[in-house]
Formats: sequence, structure tokens, C-alpha cells
Amino acid sequence: MSASPWLAPDTTAERISREVSDIVLARPTSRTWLASFALALLLTGVFMAGIGHLVTTGIGIWGNNIPVAWAFDITNYVWWIAIGMAGTFISAALLLARQVWRASLNRYAETMTVFAVSISGLFPILHLGRPWFFYWLAPYPDRMGVWPQWRSSLLWDFFAIIAYLLVSILYWYVGLLPDLATLRDRANSRGRQVFYGLLALGWRGDAHHWQRYETLSLTLAGLAVPLVFSVHSMVALDFSEGLLPGWHSTLFPPFFVAGALFSGFAMALAIAVPVRRWYGLHRYITPRHLDYLARMVLAAGLVIDYSYAAEIFDAFYSQDRYAIASLMAKFAGPYAWVYWTTIACNVAAIQLLWSRRVRYSPAALMVIALLVLVGMWCERFLLIVNSLFRDFLPSSAGMFYPTVWDLVFLFGSMAFFLVLLLLFARLLPMLSMAELRKLLPRHAGEDA
Amino acid sequence: MPSLKRGTDGNIDDGAAAIGLIDRRTFLKWLGTSLAMTGVTACGRPPEDSLISRTRDEGGREEAVFYATTLCAAGEAVGVLVETHQGRPSKIEGNPLHPCSGGATGPLLQAAVLDLWDPDRSPAPRYQGNVATWTAFEDQVLTLLDRYRNDGRALRVASGPLLSPTLLAQRDALLARYPGSRWHVHDPLGEDTARQGSMLAFGAPFTSRYALEQADVVLSLEADLLDGSPAHLAYAAAFARRRRANAGATMSRWYAVEGTPSLTGAMADHRWILASSRIGDFLLELARALGVDVPADTASGIDPARMAALLDDLTSHQGRSLIAVGRSQPAHVHALAHLMNARLGNVDRTIRYRPSDALPVDFDALCDDMHAGRVETLILLDTNPMYAAPADLSFHDALRKVAHTVHAGLYRDETGMACQWHLPLSHALESWSDARSTDGTTSIVQPAIRPLYDTRSIHECVALLSGATEQRGRAIIRSQWSQLSDKAWESALREGVIQTERPESTAPAPSNDVAAYWTHATPSSPLELLFRPDALLHDGRCANNAWLQECPRPLTQLTWGNAAMVSPHLAAVHGLANGDLVRLGANGRTLTVPVWILPGQTDTCVTLHLGYGRTHAGRFGNGVGVNANVLRSHDTGWSCAAAIEPAAGHVELATTQSQDRMEEHQPVRTVRFDASHANTPREPNATPPSLYAEPAASDYAWGMTIDLNACIGCKGCTLACQAENNIPVVGPEEIRRGHHMHWMRVDRYHSGTPAAPRTFHQPVPCMHCEHAPCELVCPVGATVHDSDGLNVQVYNRCIGTRFCSNNCPYKVRRFNFLQYADLDTESLKGQRNPDVTVRNRGVMEKCTYCIQRIEQAHIAADRDSRPIRDGEVVTACQAACPTQAIHFGNLRDPGSDVSRTKRSPLHYVLLAELNTRPRTGYLARVENPHPSLDGEQA
Repeated sequence: MSASPWLAPDTTAERISREVSDIVLARPTSRTWLASFALALLLTGVFMAGIGHLVTTGIGIWGNNIPVAWAFDITNYVWWIAIGMAGTFISAALLLARQVWRASLNRYAETMTVFAVSISGLFPILHLGRPWFFYWLAPYPDRMGVWPQWRSSLLWDFFAIIAYLLVSILYWYVGLLPDLATLRDRANSRGRQVFYGLLALGWRGDAHHWQRYETLSLTLAGLAVPLVFSVHSMVALDFSEGLLPGWHSTLFPPFFVAGALFSGFAMALAIAVPVRRWYGLHRYITPRHLDYLARMVLAAGLVIDYSYAAEIFDAFYSQDRYAIASLMAKFAGPYAWVYWTTIACNVAAIQLLWSRRVRYSPAALMVIALLVLVGMWCERFLLIVNSLFRDFLPSSAGMFYPTVWDLVFLFGSMAFFLVLLLLFARLLPMLSMAELRKLLPRHAGEDA
Repeated sequence: MPSLKRGTDGNIDDGAAAIGLIDRRTFLKWLGTSLAMTGVTACGRPPEDSLISRTRDEGGREEAVFYATTLCAAGEAVGVLVETHQGRPSKIEGNPLHPCSGGATGPLLQAAVLDLWDPDRSPAPRYQGNVATWTAFEDQVLTLLDRYRNDGRALRVASGPLLSPTLLAQRDALLARYPGSRWHVHDPLGEDTARQGSMLAFGAPFTSRYALEQADVVLSLEADLLDGSPAHLAYAAAFARRRRANAGATMSRWYAVEGTPSLTGAMADHRWILASSRIGDFLLELARALGVDVPADTASGIDPARMAALLDDLTSHQGRSLIAVGRSQPAHVHALAHLMNARLGNVDRTIRYRPSDALPVDFDALCDDMHAGRVETLILLDTNPMYAAPADLSFHDALRKVAHTVHAGLYRDETGMACQWHLPLSHALESWSDARSTDGTTSIVQPAIRPLYDTRSIHECVALLSGATEQRGRAIIRSQWSQLSDKAWESALREGVIQTERPESTAPAPSNDVAAYWTHATPSSPLELLFRPDALLHDGRCANNAWLQECPRPLTQLTWGNAAMVSPHLAAVHGLANGDLVRLGANGRTLTVPVWILPGQTDTCVTLHLGYGRTHAGRFGNGVGVNANVLRSHDTGWSCAAAIEPAAGHVELATTQSQDRMEEHQPVRTVRFDASHANTPREPNATPPSLYAEPAASDYAWGMTIDLNACIGCKGCTLACQAENNIPVVGPEEIRRGHHMHWMRVDRYHSGTPAAPRTFHQPVPCMHCEHAPCELVCPVGATVHDSDGLNVQVYNRCIGTRFCSNNCPYKVRRFNFLQYADLDTESLKGQRNPDVTVRNRGVMEKCTYCIQRIEQAHIAADRDSRPIRDGEVVTACQAACPTQAIHFGNLRDPGSDVSRTKRSPLHYVLLAELNTRPRTGYLARVENPHPSLDGEQA
């Protein structure tokens, strides 16, 4: 690590604790925060009203139909769960790989993961015709002797999401414990002391605590990393198991994982840039952090681009007329504009990241990250709708048109995500103080 | 309230003790009884005096009762069996003993049962819009009618065509009671041109009846024999019998010449497009070529090669050919066809004549009299001229000049609203009547349920008006048939046909003097507007029937509305796309309608279908489509000169199929008829290997084969399935959104050029794949295989992931996106089949091969300790099919009908390459073109 140090020379443990905890404890609630929160809350209210309407009326409020029985619902699900991949990858995989630069990023990235996975988990439930029976996927003893149908990838997916959500929340919360204790100790009002005290679960900074903390963190990281891959492989199998042209492909699992990391890192960038600016965290999230994130986006993006090429090759190599027809519909069918948007975002835009100047420009990174998020949403939409709207029999062809409720669920879920993020910024430490402090001795040693 | 009192006296213990003593079964029985006594609505009462035709019982319990009766639809009386459950008619089946049914029903009769339960039927008499009573009507109107006892010239009655011999007799009685009064017939879809043609040719009205089994060559000139003509059920059956490509069989060859596509044209080996007004010229040209002495006329412009081939076929099949002319052609074309059939030796072979007892349509005379103030009292019986009369008769104004108006009908419709008195009529399933079919077969109409409302039958109304002593429906009919012994009467009721009545045949010699009656058609405008009855709504009488509204029209797949059919070329000339509005001008009036581009339409013809644009049809029929009668005139009934100009605006028409080209998939396969019967399949039917285990051997393996060579695309199966399986109606908005629910859909494809396409129909039910892709992906196991190899859907278990539909390559699954089943309207509940679950929102559903019927057969067979016999299970679609295109049965039995079809070289399955191993297969369509024209329909 001969390049610029991860922490500035004048950083001390006390300074880390003060600066990070002051954001929560001392900084007054800003007008920007209040305005953003109000707006996001309003949209979330619309989202909740949409859920109410959906549950009481039926999923016919969406544009889904026969043949396009899945559309925005599953697109949103796959998109959100993909965003929930990068956090765990940054925290766990980079922890196992001993990449110290993760210390500045892991807290908010894990938080993003937990929120994104939670939101994504809403969609498979809400998209059901009878959402109140979602628990029928669980294998529980029943007098009628009913049991899940284990050959269905939806069932594998159900377990994958649940396992991933549980492990992500555990990992996130365990990582928070020392910092919650710091907040408790620094809290200036009784209410906060009680609030953080309860959350800190009696953390005293005892050596035993630290020892168990490290062990548990490593164990959870070891659990979480395979889950990152399994969850998105399962999501991919939801499609691979189908016999539709454009779905029936064994290549999907690795490509889905790459796509997940791609959009996850893009979201990590899209959050890092504004947070760093608004909360003055330049000291901790350095341009070099952004550079590294951008490199990850580029690397994952190139795998994605390869998958696009492979998809084209496969269709023609297979000589399957349905696969070729589906591909041609992608290029020139009614949804071609979605395809070319995807290509513009996921193939063209990311090539700018080869430039060091772009990678060191937060504004440019922000724009590219948002484009990637748009591109990945379009890609998932296309994967689902373009395969369904014309499948085998010409008579079955049918277009999908979103309704206003489809948009409510898309943008409402984003607003809900924003509400959660804003609350997180006000209530919990955005950076991992404990992890950052761990960098200090080594940092000091390097100085010496 | 003795029981309540006893309860309060402290004897509750007795009741409690009794409850403690009774077992669960008795308790449930009590509970059921008490529910029944608290007046569960929509529970029918069985009719008095009706005789049961047959019953189906299960485990000693009477499960369903069938009454034989007769229903009239689209100008034909067809014998049917009405299935009732606990007194509620729920389903119509064809009566195999009735020659006009042969066991089939087609689409219209399937929907008739819904009319009975229509919540918008008129429940009570009304006077000046207020609810009144029959007594009040009798008091007021009978006094009024008394003044016509000596001079009835100011009293007029109007009705639809009279198919009932009793009504004809009652008409005579009424006219006799009020001397000078007149009874007019109003029939917007009448066969009056045929009647006039017969007058020209024979000097007397004769009804033609075609013996299509005998015909090797059929030329149809807009005669929609398979769908639109009254006797279409019998004709379609005969058509299918002559089109079977079995070894040793000869196949008939059909030519159709028409201005607007019809189902008959779609099935013909040669379909030639010609403006409707030029078809007379075509026939004249053909007659001249056949050596008939005809006046010279302009050539029709038909390709000489085609004419030569047709001529070759007609001359080489003398006595075994047929020229049939449709009602949309003018009288002189009918007359010439009679002559040509006689010349070809077809009379009494392929065409039989019977003196017609139909009354001439003389509604215009009534309107003239009304305008002239010569009508003081008008009684309109079951007819709706306020809606259906051509606009040039201005019936609306004429009616205002009539002092006393009475309307009797099933609904308080447009005419009912305009008349002072409205009398509610009973539905045919509630009344006693009789009917004569076009082939002369007579049958009794007996009720299958007592009237739901305070209604009377049309006979009871006429009896009331004519002051007859006998005014009870059954007695009126019984006295009409007093020559029948009690035994013969009972047999007529049970069997649905009066056996003694046999159609007689006479063969007059047609007039040779064509020049005397031939009218030279001089098209006054480059564009003709053709009026045609809607394929399902016909004249719009049943416009409130939501099943009919929602059933896709066979040729367009349009639902819930009509449109002006234009050719692709005409659309291109005016820059029109489907749904664009145009202003159609005809007979001095204009109408703004959306257009629909129909491949195969003549470039100079625009077709508009009747039956739409009702204003007082009811909650489903109001405001659907546009009323074509506005442009119609009474003297040029079926076509007129017209002008078309694009108008601003666009309507999204509700269609169920957006893509109608087969592409390279070829879901419908066709082969050429080969006299040596080496009809080999195009692709071998080898089943690809699979990693999955073979299904366990069981006694039954239900399978289906649909013969595309027989299927005429009439949608009878779609509606039969809807009636049998409680399939909900979703409405036009949901259809536009791709949410239609029909389990049995009929795909329609075009191949060839848009100007002259070949049209194909393909019914698609669930394929019941042995390796069903839907079953693999359901996470809760809501769709599974049962022991008979059926792919069943467990509604209770379904949570609605819809993955099964995504993974179904045939897209036969239907999802309840919203609460489509109407759980609130009481009367509609009466129709539902108690053996089939009513599905609620959020669950997937699909064709079950009528599993309830299979189970009934299982129960019956198990009780007798025998296997289910071949033909014992008949699916609803199979039963309704006029051409018996659907074969169903046990594939384990190599001798079963369906097994035989599976061994046919014509058999194939859809998307065999996916290795889903469907149980539903198809027999390829066989075409039999004239050898010299073989290339014209590639």
C-alpha cells in the first residue's frame, strides 16, 4: 500500500469516534434531511396505499397479464436483491480477503444490503395472487399433509432469500455492537443513553467481547460469502428452470451474480458520493475508495457485457428458432428501446471508467452509477417481459403495458429505501468506528 | 311461534339433549333443511307437468335432471336437453334425437341458459313506466280491444318470425276475433330474399334444404352454410362427415365466393373474393357456361382458370353438386341458382324443397300505416323494432302516432321503454310452446323451471289478447297437439321430437325465363356497405348476454363491440389502422365507427355487423358497439352504396389475439387430400427421450384429439366450456389488458397474402402434458398429475405465483387477476354448475378435461363394478361441437375412438420438440383443391 494512506495522518481514535458519532448525536437535523425525509415518506405512504390496494383488490391493478404474468413485480424483486449483494460482498468477502479499505464502506454498504434485501423480499410476497398464503412455501407439519414442491426453483429461492436476509441482518447487527456502545457512552441525553444502551446489548469492550466479536464476525462472513453467490444463483434459476426462450439457459447463475455485484457496487457508489459530500466524510471515504468502487463496477460490468455477447452467440449457436426469435425481438421488437437503453448504460457508459480522471470525479461516478442502476433494471425487465410476450405459439403473443400502480410500486419502493437510509443516517453510525480505529495502529506503524 | 315459546319456557334442555343425541349426518341434514326453508335465493322450482328426459344420479342421489325441449336461435328451432340441478337449469346440451341438433348445439344455444338467469330481465308488467299488474293490464287493455270486435283495422300486432305452429294457429284465432286486424312480421335477419327468389323461380314460396352428405361439389355464394344459415348445425355436421380423409372415403370439394369472409369461406378449398354485388354476375357467367339461356351481362372478372375448374367440377358431378345462395344475395340470384341446381340434376338429391309456411316480412307496410295514422293500437310481441328497424322506416316517429301501444318481451328494451304497456315474457326454458325447424321437424318446448318472475309465455299473452278460454300455457300447447295420444305426447316430451311429424319433400320445376326476372346490378358507388348479422349476437336480441359479448368473434377475435371490416388495401388507401374511427355514410345518414382490418375482405366492400349499439339491453349490453341499423334501409337490406372517410379519434378494440400469422411455427398443419390415402405426416411423431420417469401405469389415460379438418371455428366449444365450468366474464377493459378467462380458446391464423388469405382455426384447451412444465415450477404443488394422468389444478392450494403460466408453452392457463367471479348477483348464481368450484381472485385455473364429468363416470362405473366405457365421458366442448371435431377418451384402451385418432397419420401434437408429451393432439387439416388450381393456395 504505497499509494495515499487510507486514513489521513492526523486521524486519531478519538477523532474517529467524535466525528462519526457526532453526526448522530450532535449534528442538528438539517433542512435538507427533513425535506428529503418528508418527500420520501410521502412517496412511501403512496407505496403503502398501493400495497393496501393490491392486497384488497388483486394483482390485476398491475399491467401483468397472460402471457406476461411477471413484469414489474419480479423485475423490482431481482433488481432490489441484486443491490443487496454488494454490501455483503464488501464486508464479508473483502474481510476474508483482508482488504482493509472496506472499513470505511462496510457499515453503510451492509445497511444498504439489509434494506434492499428486505424490500426485495416484499415483492415475491406481494406478487402472489393470494399473498396471505406466502407461508405455504415453508415446509411445516400440517394436518392435511401438504408439503412444498421441491422441484420448483421458487422454493429454493424462498429459502435462499430467507437465509440471506437472516445472515445479513445478523452480520450487520453484530458489526454494529461496538459502535452502539460508543454511541451509548457518548450520548448526551438520558433517552439516547437508554436507546443505544438497549441496542448495545451490554457491550463493555471487554477483551472477551472483542474476541467473541471477531470470531462471530469471521464465522458470519464465512457464511455470508457463499450466500451472496447462492442467492443470486437461485434468482437466476427462477428463470433457468423455465423452458421459455431467453430463460432456459444454464449460464444464468454466474451472470446473475456478476450482475448483482455490478448493480450493488453502483448503488454503493451512488450512496457514497452524496453521503460523503453532505456529511463531510472526505477524510474517511477518500477519492481512492471511490476509485476502487469504480474499478469493481467496471470489472463486474465487463463480465455482464461478456454475458450479453454470450447470449447472442448462444442463440445462434443453438439454432433454436424460438431463442433466435426472442433475441431478434430484443434487437428490433417493441421493447427494443429498453434493450438499447440497457446497452447504452451497461456497456457504453461504463467504458468511461477506464479513465482515471473519471474514476476520481465524484460527479461523473454518480452519473455512471445511476445509469448502471437504470441499465440493470431495464435488463431485468427485458429478460422477463421480452421472453414472455412472444414465446412459442404466435397466438399467445401479448404486450405488457405498465399501469400507474406498477410505477407506484417501483418508485414507492425506492422512496421506502430512501426513508430507511435517511433514518439510518440520523440514528446509527454511518461508518464503522471500531473498524476504522483498527486501522490506526497499523497506520501509525507505517508512519513510524 | 310455538317453538320459540317453548324455548323460553325453559325446555331448552330438550333441544340440547336432542342435539346431543343426533349424529353429525343428521345434524347436517337439519342444517341443510333449515337453510332451504329460510329461502335461499336463486334456487329454482322444478316445472309442473314437464317430463324428465333422463337423469344422472350419483350414489343413489339424483344429481342432475335433463329435460328435452326446443330452443330457437338465429332462425332455427333446435332440440336440446336442459341439465338442471335442484330445479335450476345450468347447461344446455344438444338433443341427439333432434335432426337439427344431432347432439350438438354450437355457440348460441350454449349461451341461452344465461339469458334465463339474466339479472336485467323484466320481472313485472309496467304501465307508463310504473310497475303494474297483469290484472290491471287485463282490465284496461281487454276493454280497449273490445272495440275491435267488429272492425279491427286499427289493431295491429307485430312479432318476429313465427316458428311455432301453435302461435300460427293463435294468430289465426286473433285475426278472426278482430276482423280486419293484421299481424305483421318484423325480422331484421329474415330469409326474405330466399323467399322472393323462390317466388321468382317457382311462383310459390319453398324452403330449400341441402343434403350436404350427398354433395361432392358445393358452391357457396355467400351462403354461410356452416355458421350463419339457420340450419347450420345440421349442415356443419354433414360437412364434417364428407370431409373425413379416412381410407376409402371420398372428400367433398367446397368453393366459396363471397364479399366478406365467413367461416364457410375459411373452410372451403377455394375461397374467391368478389364484391357482393358482383356475385350475381358470377353466377350468370357460370350459368352461361353451363348452357343455361341467360341474358348477357358484364363479366364478373373471375379468373378463367378458376371458372374452368369450377365448371369442370360441376359438370362432372351432376346430381352430386350443389349451388347454395345466401340471404344476402338478391332474389334473382336465388332464382337462378334454383334453375341451375335443377339443370345439374341436384333437385331431390342434394337439395330438397318444402313448401314454406313462413310469413312474409311486411314490417314496412305496418310502418306506412302507422305514419298514415291508420293504426290505433299496436301490440309488439317479442320484437324490438325501436332498435332493429331500419332507420328509413322512422319507426320512432311512427310509434308516436299510435294511441295505444303494448310491448311484450323478455326485457324492457328500447321498444318496451317506448310503449305504454310492457309485459314481461317468460324465457323459453320457463314456458310451454312448440316449434317447427327449417327441415320441418316439429317439437314441443317444455319448461325446465317454473317462471322466476311474474311472467307469461307468448302463447299465454296471445290467448289473453284474443280472449281465448284456455289461457294456461301447457293446455294451449296440448290442445294444439290434441291429435297426439297421451302416450305419444309423453314420448314427444321425453324425446324432444314429435315423431309423427316428418318433413315432406316436393320438387317443382323452376322457371326457365331468367331474363324475365334478372335485374342488372349497377353499383352506384365504388364502395358497398354490407350488413351482416354478428356471428354471436345475430340481431342483438341477446346483447345482454355477457358470454356472447365476451366470446371472441371467430374471424376477428374481437369481443365487446363491432367495427367496420375493411380490407388491408382499403385501410392502406385511407391510412387506417385497427381501431381508427371512420365516418360511414349510407342512405343519407352517417355513423362513426372504428375500423378493423380483415384479411380477405373485398377492397370495395365494408362490412358492418348488426346486433350492437343497444341502449336498453341491460347492464352488459348497453352502449356496446354501434347500431348498424341506423345506416340500413328496408329495401336494400343487406348492402347499400356507402362512403367512407377517416374521422378523428381511435378506439382500442378488445381482441384476444394480436398476432394472426402462423410464422414458421405452423401450429396448424395442412396436407393435400390424396385419393390413395398415403396421407403421411410432415414430421415423424417420434417422442424424444426424457430423463423423467414414465408415468405409472393406470387403468385410464385421458386424451383428446381435435380434428382441424372438421373444426369450423364456431366457438361452440368456448361457450360450452364457459357454461360448464363456471368461467367468469371479465368485461372489455380486462380483455384489452389480456385478462380473458376462456379455458378453451380457438386460435385463428391467416396464411398467404393479406388480400386473399387462407384462414385456420385451432381450438386450444389444456394439453394435459405428461411431462407438464407447469407442475415442475409450482412451489406449493398446486398443479399436479392425478392417477388418470390428468394435469389438475388445486385451487385451494394455489397461491398465485403464475410461474406455471409463464412456463406453459401453450399459454392455456388463466389467472384470476381480480375478483372476476360475480359473487353478489343472486340470479347469476342459479346458472352455476354445482360440480365445479367457483374460483376467486388470486388463483390460476385452466381446462380440466371436464374432470367433474370424468368423476361422474368413475362413480357410475364403480357402482356397477365395470370399467368406464368408451364414449361414456363426453367433455363439454366435445358435446357442443357441431362437427364432432373433438375426440376424447381413454388412451389405454387401444380400441377407443381417441386411440384410433392418435394412430392416424394426420395426428400431431403442438410443440413436440419441447417434449412436454401433450395428451391433446391434433389431426392435420386436409385440403382438397381442384387439381388444376393446386397452386393457388400455397
